[in-house]
Amino acid sequence: MSNPQWQTPEARRRLARRHASERRFKALGLGAIVLSMAFLVLLLVIMLKNGLGGLDWSFLTGSDSTSPDMAGVWGAAKGSLLTMFVTLVLAFPMGVLAAIYLEEFAPKNKWIDLVEVSINNLAAVPSIIFGLLGLAVFINTLHLPRSSPVVGGLTLALMTMPVIVISGRNAIKAVPPSIREAAYGIGASKVQTTFHHVLPLALPGILTGTIIGMARALGETAPLLMIGMRAFVATPPGGITDPSSVLPMQIFLWSDEIDKGFVQNTSAAIIVLLVFLLAMNGLAIYLRNKFEVRW
Amino acid sequence: MTEPKLIARNVDVYYGEKKAIDNVSIDIDNGIVTAFIGPSGCGKSTFLRSLNRMNDTIAGAKVTGEILLDGEDIYAASMDPVALRARVGMVFQKPNPFPKSIYENIAYGPRIHGLAQGKAQMDEIVERALTKAGLWDEVKDRLSDAGTALSGGQQQRLCIARAIAVSPEVILMDEPCSALDPIATARIEELIDELKNSYAIVIVTHSMQQAARVSQRTAFFHLGNLVEYGETSQVFTTPREDRTKDYITGRYG
Repeated sequence: MSNPQWQTPEARRRLARRHASERRFKALGLGAIVLSMAFLVLLLVIMLKNGLGGLDWSFLTGSDSTSPDMAGVWGAAKGSLLTMFVTLVLAFPMGVLAAIYLEEFAPKNKWIDLVEVSINNLAAVPSIIFGLLGLAVFINTLHLPRSSPVVGGLTLALMTMPVIVISGRNAIKAVPPSIREAAYGIGASKVQTTFHHVLPLALPGILTGTIIGMARALGETAPLLMIGMRAFVATPPGGITDPSSVLPMQIFLWSDEIDKGFVQNTSAAIIVLLVFLLAMNGLAIYLRNKFEVRW
Repeated sequence: MTEPKLIARNVDVYYGEKKAIDNVSIDIDNGIVTAFIGPSGCGKSTFLRSLNRMNDTIAGAKVTGEILLDGEDIYAASMDPVALRARVGMVFQKPNPFPKSIYENIAYGPRIHGLAQGKAQMDEIVERALTKAGLWDEVKDRLSDAGTALSGGQQQRLCIARAIAVSPEVILMDEPCSALDPIATARIEELIDELKNSYAIVIVTHSMQQAARVSQRTAFFHLGNLVEYGETSQVFTTPREDRTKDYITGRYG
């Protein structure tokens, strides 16, 4: 307490200014969070108020109908599940393999740089364009059944794969090089090093990225419009080649109806979709914690 | 005098355009510890890593010249780097156990090389490797614990045990004690002294005292050149080269 420099009015003012700027930043950050959370809460409150009344067993087990009282969400939900299944089965292995190849095996040259840029671009392409691509390739050229989860899943897989590749590469890159050296040092081959040591450590990050990509695909509507998944489907799809709808599409269709009863259905379907998304994000957190290795 | 275990002739190592090792020739014998000393960036680690082709894993690294293990060119097309690294094991600067159990850390190498038939034999290999590394008594009751939960010195001995488990002929150590405290360092040095009877050991070290304590031969590297190589006692007491003398007397480095 002896240094008089800290006691001058000038020094005190400077300290006070620094503390004030710190308080300002905290307030600003808190404000940003409160504002965005407020909108989420507003959405939830409105949806629950409008939709909770319509959420009953017949709504959860029924399919689309011209009468709002008869209409249910199960057909669309099953369509979503089947579509997500196709997407996951295609996008996950392809995305992970591509990420492993690019990160661990690919030579460093211009072609690989080009591939990298392309994948980053692909992840940013507007989804409606993937829809057009799906329409042109899967329906018009390959003649796969229109409005079906298989075509929806293929289209969404194209969209999700780049997301998985990018998050997968980041997760692989984050594995410390010392682990690779340790494996090489006792004579593990490159494939053994990658699959026995690098991949298990990168798995939590890969899974998190995958689920975030899947959650985005689950909420996607635009590309599915293009491939005809906006059809009126009154029975739940029996398999991936049957015509079907998906949850966000059902919400879109109902919100377009004139009948008042569909307003409640729209909100109720939104609640179902949000529960789906919440469950997926919860799963992402659970998987990350379960597979995370600490050292 | 028997044949040297490792013979290097006119070895150059490049990282891209940069020449990191310039025309190094050296003979490394069985049954003794050979120390590589020199200031940071002198190429001693680079040269060490070319002895088991670890440099292959670095993009742009290139080795020219000849390195013979028991008379066999390790850079020949017929030499599989994977098999070579089982014969020439490596211990790294920072202890890097796999984030798996202690048992798995040891068993991994023998398993991928198919050294054990059945669980009983694997148990035996694990016990033998840990015993040789002086770690068995400390960990025998908790083999299923994570290798990463051990102390730094124990982790490094675990890494040595992991290298021993695949029955190498040569063990390369890249500053194995630089992340350890003096007591753990002393344990490792004792261990190196015991292991030299079974393996050819090459150790890179920053500490001249360590080189003097553990090695029988010392090679002094400077700016990518092998400046002086001889009996450790001779290098430290009557160095032939002025650069060696300046370094060991602390004038630079």
